Amino acid sequence: MKTFEENFTAWVDGTLNSQERAKFEASLVSLQEAEAEKTAAQRLGSLIREHVPAPEMSNADFFNHQILRQIEERHSAPEQAKAGGIFWTLPRMAWAGAFCLAMAGAIYGVAVPKTVRQAAAGQEYVAKILNAETDDPAISATAYHDDDENVTVLWLGGLDYIPEDRLLR
Amino acid sequence: MSLNAESVAAPVEDSELVAQCQHGDTLAFNELVTRYRNKVYAMIYNMVRNEQDAWDLAQDGFLKAWKSIGKFRGQSSFYTWLYRIMMNVTIDWVRKKRIQGEGEFDETLGLKGIDPGAVAVAKTELLPHRKMEAAEIRARIDQAIEKLTPEHRAVILMREMDGLEYQEIADAMGCSIGTVMSRLFYARKKMQGLLSDVYENI
Repeated sequence: MKTFEENFTAWVDGTLNSQERAKFEASLVSLQEAEAEKTAAQRLGSLIREHVPAPEMSNADFFNHQILRQIEERHSAPEQAKAGGIFWTLPRMAWAGAFCLAMAGAIYGVAVPKTVRQAAAGQEYVAKILNAETDDPAISATAYHDDDENVTVLWLGGLDYIPEDRLLR
Repeated sequence: MSLNAESVAAPVEDSELVAQCQHGDTLAFNELVTRYRNKVYAMIYNMVRNEQDAWDLAQDGFLKAWKSIGKFRGQSSFYTWLYRIMMNVTIDWVRKKRIQGEGEFDETLGLKGIDPGAVAVAKTELLPHRKMEAAEIRARIDQAIEKLTPEHRAVILMREMDGLEYQEIADAMGCSIGTVMSRLFYARKKMQGLLSDVYENI
């Protein structure tokens, strides 16, 4: 069901059919006042059409030019990014990684003195265990390797109790 | 006047140009811009009352149209779809600028609040139409339009200036026909009250 406002607008614009119009006019308190309103609304429309300008756009060609330029700028930006991304394909990245490793090895071999390398090889402690899970932060675990004895030792410190058969004597 | 009138008269259908645009053809879009730029500009200008703002908003609207033209499925005419984008851009802008200010219209205003005699009684103390220049009348209409909310401004201009049907306005505004008719009712009432002395003296 249409509201009064909807019916009134349709009545002013002449879009009600005869049955709707008769029904609406019968519902009006004062047809005379409504007719005056209708006339006023129609005159308002004429006034707007007559006096409100429909201005022509100035620099219309420049308007188009700017739109196309902005579209092209938006297009070219992703394409440039896309072009940059294509260069680093998976095989290229793999080859680049291998090349970097080879270069690092070569630099190490040439630049680091042999004595330093030997000293590093003789070092006892080869690893510090970082993820030992224990409630007590005082407990530590360290691994070391002895080349002479050819043995790797796991050293646990800060334990309150160690079974007899595991004790180091 | 129908929204489709301009496109029917055109040598290439809008739908064909739209299809080309959807394949990235910027020249086809350029043709659509040329086809509708003046109508769009005129409508926006009458909403914002400033040439530069209207120019910028029309550009913004066309760029938005290009960006989302891939989503256009042809359920309405291209112009209706474009109109909706332009209206959204413009209404948002008008809201932000708060042009309506103190003249914001209250849609809850009932019929009892409107003096039915206001439109029938000429205010004789104001200028008669013979002395009133067209520019003055235009200025009064501009002032009255500025006092409308963006939505009321849009519907009355689409109806009275472009002669759009209720359904076309509803499509462009993204609302129901009933809402369009209701907005039209209140927009007319408001403008009649503001301009009664003008058109009663013409």
